[in-house]
Amino acid sequence: MIPPRFEYAAPKSIGEAVGLLKSRGGEAKVLAGGQSMIPLLKLRLAAPALLVDINRIEGLDYIRESMGFLRVGALTRVATLGRSALLERRYGALHDASLTIADPLVRNLGTVGGNISHGDPSNDLPAVLLAAEGELAATGPSGERTFRAEGFFVGTFTTALAQDEILTEVRIPVPPHRSGGVYLKVEQKVADFATAGVAVQVSLGRGSECAKVGIGLTGVGPTALKAKKAEEAMLGKKATDRKAVEEAGELAADASSPASDIRGTEDYKRGLIRLLVARGLERATQRARRGA
Amino acid sequence: MKIVSVGFVDEEQDPDVRFVRGAGRYVDDIKLEGMQHLYVVRSPYARARVLSVSGGITGNELKATMESVGEDAGGRSTVSFPVLSASYVSYVGQPVAAVLGGDKYEAADKADEVDVQYEPLKPVMDPERSLESEPIHPGTESNLVAAAELGRDFDLKAPVEVEETLRMERIAPNPMETKGMVASYDGSVLTVYASTQSPFSWREGLAGSLGLKEESVRVVQMDTGGGFGSKGGIYPEYVVAAYAAMKTKRPVKWTESRYENLLATNMGRGVRGRMKVYADRKGKLKGLKADLLVDVGAYPLGGGAWTAKWIASQLVGPYAVPKAYAAAKAVLTNKVNMGPYRGAGRPEAAFFMERMMDRIADETGIDAAEVRLRNATTRETTSPLGMEAPPSKRFFTEALRAFRYSSRKKKDKVGLSFFMLIPAAYGGESAKLAVEGGRVKVWMGGSSHGQRHDVFAKKLVSEELGVPQDVIDFQHTDTGAISGGVGSWGSRTAILGGGALVEASRNLKAAAKKNLGKKYSPALLLEGDYEAEAFFKPKDMLNTLGANLATARLTKEGNAVVEEVLSFYDAGKVLNRFMLESQVTGGVAQGIGEVMYEHAVYSEDGQLLTASIADAGVIHATEMPKSVVMTAAHRSTLPHGAKGVGESPTIGVPPAATRALEVLLGRRFTTLPIEPEKLWAHDLPGRERTR
Repeated sequence: MIPPRFEYAAPKSIGEAVGLLKSRGGEAKVLAGGQSMIPLLKLRLAAPALLVDINRIEGLDYIRESMGFLRVGALTRVATLGRSALLERRYGALHDASLTIADPLVRNLGTVGGNISHGDPSNDLPAVLLAAEGELAATGPSGERTFRAEGFFVGTFTTALAQDEILTEVRIPVPPHRSGGVYLKVEQKVADFATAGVAVQVSLGRGSECAKVGIGLTGVGPTALKAKKAEEAMLGKKATDRKAVEEAGELAADASSPASDIRGTEDYKRGLIRLLVARGLERATQRARRGA
Repeated sequence: MKIVSVGFVDEEQDPDVRFVRGAGRYVDDIKLEGMQHLYVVRSPYARARVLSVSGGITGNELKATMESVGEDAGGRSTVSFPVLSASYVSYVGQPVAAVLGGDKYEAADKADEVDVQYEPLKPVMDPERSLESEPIHPGTESNLVAAAELGRDFDLKAPVEVEETLRMERIAPNPMETKGMVASYDGSVLTVYASTQSPFSWREGLAGSLGLKEESVRVVQMDTGGGFGSKGGIYPEYVVAAYAAMKTKRPVKWTESRYENLLATNMGRGVRGRMKVYADRKGKLKGLKADLLVDVGAYPLGGGAWTAKWIASQLVGPYAVPKAYAAAKAVLTNKVNMGPYRGAGRPEAAFFMERMMDRIADETGIDAAEVRLRNATTRETTSPLGMEAPPSKRFFTEALRAFRYSSRKKKDKVGLSFFMLIPAAYGGESAKLAVEGGRVKVWMGGSSHGQRHDVFAKKLVSEELGVPQDVIDFQHTDTGAISGGVGSWGSRTAILGGGALVEASRNLKAAAKKNLGKKYSPALLLEGDYEAEAFFKPKDMLNTLGANLATARLTKEGNAVVEEVLSFYDAGKVLNRFMLESQVTGGVAQGIGEVMYEHAVYSEDGQLLTASIADAGVIHATEMPKSVVMTAAHRSTLPHGAKGVGESPTIGVPPAATRALEVLLGRRFTTLPIEPEKLWAHDLPGRERTR
């Protein structure tokens, strides 16, 4: 690692951290788990004058349900998600995704907040939040703001966060009874970024039809995407309805705008989205039936 | 002295144990008094005029070029490779200047002091269009580097005629340890500590570039974390670092990041083969024609110039073909140089030929193994392209039995390859032994960069001298300790270095016997002071045979993967089975990488798009198929009976694995690596079913 010179601060409170970010304008960057920041530094693709290490701030590492939401602290490590029985039982998509991110070394250090606020369209958690209608809380100089996941991902490596705001909490509404979620990812090699990934969240009505559907896509656009037309098309339909499921896959593929690159052509990635959305709807429904 | 026999390796000395404990000693572990760090400033353009360059060490100051870059550099080229270019640049990553700092960070920061003005030019990236493009090197007539014709052209009508254009794309060697060295100059001798496959090539190359006598350059090999061909010769950075140490009279360390390694290390493959085979309805070959094109990158050194002819010469492989003709060309492009990569031409030849054998099987409806057997030989042959081959039929029959081919074919999607391994036996190899203080020191002219040559070296010396292995100290190659040598590549070290060890041991024993007379014993030998060297040159052909079988399956998302690879190689007398299996297993990983994942991809404007180890496609344990390694122990004529094996898996695995994937998916594959979408079983728009 051969980064250029930078100053380093390790504040103990979020207020102090925000103050540092504000004082240095665009020259300061947050360091959380470092799994994206450190590679950027070592390749000198990022050269912040000040690095604000937020790892010493207490109270940002938790997973709990309260007031109708699953709440995950921004400094919670990805590996912690993977070990959570609560997530495995009730937040299948988030649990699945946490197990597919990079490799165990990265998951041990990488944080939930970092995975999301980096704004990388290939990161896995944004699609889960989009599918699950998640919310995000951030603290800035004028206090806390809350964002809906939809609209948060503005562009590649850009989110709705201001430069002096720090993401503090990720929220997912507690799903109703008979809900299930799944995250499916095709990667060329283990630990690679997704060639394509799909998060699906469904809640079933009385007749096992989809009463609520959320579909998020990874790695097939400038940001993580929400496949709204595909979601709408599944409402009132069953996952056993082959035609409906395939149509949802088709609509999601249409909503994506993948780029051809070393991981595959545009057509292949759209093909994967079609397959993964259809399969995701089926699996999420299976989990919903089991109450997962 | 009491001699106690001990087990397989002395744990204290066992490099595996040292490495796992973190006690390996690599170039980057060296710290010398007053040592400075060198950082190299590189071209961001694939092709550009350098209008001006200032700051640091530049090509205006250091006008050295590289005529010899080590491993079989061959004839001189019309184009010389500048160590630092001050006039024009020919690939992204080409060194243009260098700066020194007290540590790595300071050196990298100092790059800002270098100012280079470029005038970018349109690069030549596609080898197919290189010859019609403007020459990339001013003052030359064309981008053609080498052209060869082998065999005699012919006219033939045959019941089966199949044509195919096949490609093995460029890949990065990606050794675990990137390149690096430390140079130190005492006013008369330049000492270089090196991560290398060949201290002797380095000595020749550095002395040549810097205008020094070879006697005033000493190259010492450190623990070396892999090379795969990329560390056989020298690079511009080595010359600059050595020059900087001489200029400043302070030691200089240069080590590169992974990014720099990918950008500016010779790459392997990058060869197109247009093949045509003629056969009768029974699958018997009647003729072979080939038109080869090799992409040598920016400078025709490091193997680029001779590879075209070398591949052409071995196209026929282990088969009998009455007529064969091959035309081969090597051309320049604005990419980093081509260089040897594990197999270096042998994998290309085998892939081209074995793909055609599968085509004949498909065209005639005859089983792929049967087609190969029908063309195998029962006596030594010389192909119409001039290559000698051992009889192959008996070995291949053995291989099919070892694979349980008939029953495997019934239940699995199976691919098969037969091939010949031509070890780099030219030039021979040296070894030296010295007895002192009750211990035996052992050197070879080219030695381990990860293969654990110490294991067979100790075994051979112990057996010849009758001394226990734990009194034998294996040394890395040091041009100051042994009078000559070649290097470690081309499946040569166990056979040639091993032969040299046997001869040196016998010479040592003879010297001791001369002194001790009839009372000679291993114990008395160890009490004396003796030295012996040997330079071993084999007389007989050492070409050997191998076979691979691969099976393939689909993942639950419908992506095809290789499930199992069986290797059956004639390695002669196996010197150490564990080491052989380990080396083959690593080669299987590289073979699979080459088929499915590894690729050096450039953009149209010459930027390397695969500039991280992950993007370059190096596989993990999770992508590794099950691997079974078997050997046929047909002793060679060498004193220790061994044959080469190091490159066998990168030769045999790609065609076998490609065929297994082809059988599984029912699609024909002609280019490696196979793109991810082509390995997906599901339909895509515009996809044609070829079979």
